[in-house]
Amino acid sequence: MSGKSDRNLISSLWEALSSLRLTIGLLIVLAVVSIFGTVIPQNAAPEEYLRVYKFTTYKILHILGFLDMYRSWWFLLLLALLCLNLIACSAGRFRLTLRFLSLPRERLEETEWKSTSPKKSLSLKGNPRDWISPVQSGLSARFAAPKIIPEDGTIHFFAEKGKLSRLGAYFVHLGVLVILSGALIGFFYGFRGNINLVEGETASRVTLRNGEQVPLPDFNLKLEQFSVSFYSTGAPKEFKSMVTLRDEGQTVLSGSIRVNHPLSHRGLTFYQSSYGVAGVDKVFLGVKEKNSGKEQLIEAKMGVKTELPGSPYAFILTRFIPDLQGMGPALQVLPLETGRPHETFFILQNHPEMEDRRPGAYRLQIREITPRYYSGLQVTKDPGVPLVWTGCLLMVVGFYLSFFLFHRRLWGRLSTRGKETLLELAGSSHRNRIGFEQEFEKMVQALRAEILAPEKDSPEREEQA
Amino acid sequence: MISSKLVTAVTFLYLFCTVLYFNYLAFRSKRLGDFAAMATWTAFALHTAAILARWIESYQLGFGHAPLSNMYESLVFFSWCIALIYLLWELKLKSRILGAFTLPFAFLTVAYAALSPGVSDRIDPLMPALQSNWLHAHVITCFLSYASFAVSCGVSIMYLVKARREKPGEAKGGLLNLFPGLDSLDSLIYKTIAVGFPLLTIGIITGSAWANYAWGSYWSWDPKETWSLITWFIYAVFLHARFTREWRGKRTAILSLVGFGAVIFTYFGVNYVLSGLHSYA
Repeated sequence: MSGKSDRNLISSLWEALSSLRLTIGLLIVLAVVSIFGTVIPQNAAPEEYLRVYKFTTYKILHILGFLDMYRSWWFLLLLALLCLNLIACSAGRFRLTLRFLSLPRERLEETEWKSTSPKKSLSLKGNPRDWISPVQSGLSARFAAPKIIPEDGTIHFFAEKGKLSRLGAYFVHLGVLVILSGALIGFFYGFRGNINLVEGETASRVTLRNGEQVPLPDFNLKLEQFSVSFYSTGAPKEFKSMVTLRDEGQTVLSGSIRVNHPLSHRGLTFYQSSYGVAGVDKVFLGVKEKNSGKEQLIEAKMGVKTELPGSPYAFILTRFIPDLQGMGPALQVLPLETGRPHETFFILQNHPEMEDRRPGAYRLQIREITPRYYSGLQVTKDPGVPLVWTGCLLMVVGFYLSFFLFHRRLWGRLSTRGKETLLELAGSSHRNRIGFEQEFEKMVQALRAEILAPEKDSPEREEQA
Repeated sequence: MISSKLVTAVTFLYLFCTVLYFNYLAFRSKRLGDFAAMATWTAFALHTAAILARWIESYQLGFGHAPLSNMYESLVFFSWCIALIYLLWELKLKSRILGAFTLPFAFLTVAYAALSPGVSDRIDPLMPALQSNWLHAHVITCFLSYASFAVSCGVSIMYLVKARREKPGEAKGGLLNLFPGLDSLDSLIYKTIAVGFPLLTIGIITGSAWANYAWGSYWSWDPKETWSLITWFIYAVFLHARFTREWRGKRTAILSLVGFGAVIFTYFGVNYVLSGLHSYA
């Protein structure tokens, strides 16, 4: 008894899962809840939320999972339900479709002849057998090669086109499942992290989003060189990291990483994601003595005592600031003058006039700064990506099959009507009915012209005989 | 720039075409219809010339990129796609009846580009993330799909107008006589969406392939991505709803309107209301 009610429960559950209403409902719910995730910032810092929301609102949103909504249990549950629904719907119908395609209805019953449309009939002279080959070649040329089934003096024809169109939806649905399984694999076995390197540095680990560090598998990565180029407008045109990957001292790969041109090795992919100025390599300074007006160009290094040739003066460049309060690049200078307190001052590359106001024996002017860049690389491991692209391909194939092909079937029969032969043709299309009716009409016209053409000549031939 | 002047000219031409198509509806004169179609083809040719001119101008400035990279360029291209898709349907259906309900979209989009002070027509060099061949595949497929949805929105409006007026027992007449029957309109809504939906899917796929090259992630739930998925869900509902009896007709026509609303929000709303990675257009 309980076995039976179990089966009832399972079958009614299966029925609910495989209903189209559930599909429609789930898609609508997914569309609506997805909106929340675009309005509420996702994965932001708590203080950012508290700037916008009250503490209780923030707490509630946090508990309900709205702050990382697309990974919340209920959003994933909705996706899982959609998958189950897809599987249930497709599995049930797939068997029917396969049977439908492998065992086509090649012969229509009398009642089906009546109900099928579009339909046309032609009266022909002579015996049905004489018309088999003209009809066969006519259908082959205008539609598709027909199967011929003789039966009690009546000859049946069956032809079909665009059969695969019936499989389109299955391809699309399989594609969705494959994409989601790829996403799942990426979720469990993939990671995303960053590496920030200054030119010349070598990294052997990746910093993940949560701060955790993961070692690079059997290799380390050295940033040989980083370069930025700019448009005439000052906007960055390209940034490029030249890197070398080494395995126990052996170079295994060297190449460049640019935006849109990542580098892959051992399942890891490196992307150029950001860059910045880490420090200064060399500085060229113009030094002007106030008293003599003598000017000279000197090269200075950061953090090293620089002496002004032919004078008792010296200084150290202590700090580089890429942008000092919106005034551009600046250097902090510590003068080493005997008898005076060592007080630091700033010199600005874009505002040399500031130097004129400073008391002191000499003026410094930044002529050129060679910055040392750091390169921000994103490191991704996602073994699910190939599956995602496979799923996308399946979907595109599925769309082609279901929207650009139509399954069209054509039945014909030749039978004796009194002294004449009657050719009847009927067709059906599972989509685009109006378009098919036009196609059918055209085809029948062409067929009529083709197979009746020799007959036009025959009376003349008879006369000649 | 010549291209901007051409775009302004095209804007007024589309307005003119829209007026012609409405007159065609009102007076039902075949010659008026032919004239409207001719004017639209002319506008479309000029529109194409404007896009090509802008392309050439970008090379003269030394940047050299296809005009698909900012709000102005995408609006001009969107409008071009609407005109193209409309004209193709006009050829296929051999009917000029959709013009009055579709061309306004082409006009409004290009008018927004040409006349809004908020949309700059300056040609800027491409930032590194945009320097990719995926840009072309992504933008072209997305806007062709949006244009198909614009046409389906126009047809849905026709359907709803006709369904409202054509109550059983009431005398038919006036403008609506020229409209195709409700069944034909319903199947036309389906057909335009059957073109738009695969294109939208390819647009999303090319976008995520590009994101995977540029940012190392094919999907990051960025508002623009999410809204394109919401749009996709709505049209997926449309396609499935047609299999059920109770959804057919008026409800699916409304769904198509809602879908186009989501398209518009994905395109404009996300940029102006929400923030994200996809901030160029």
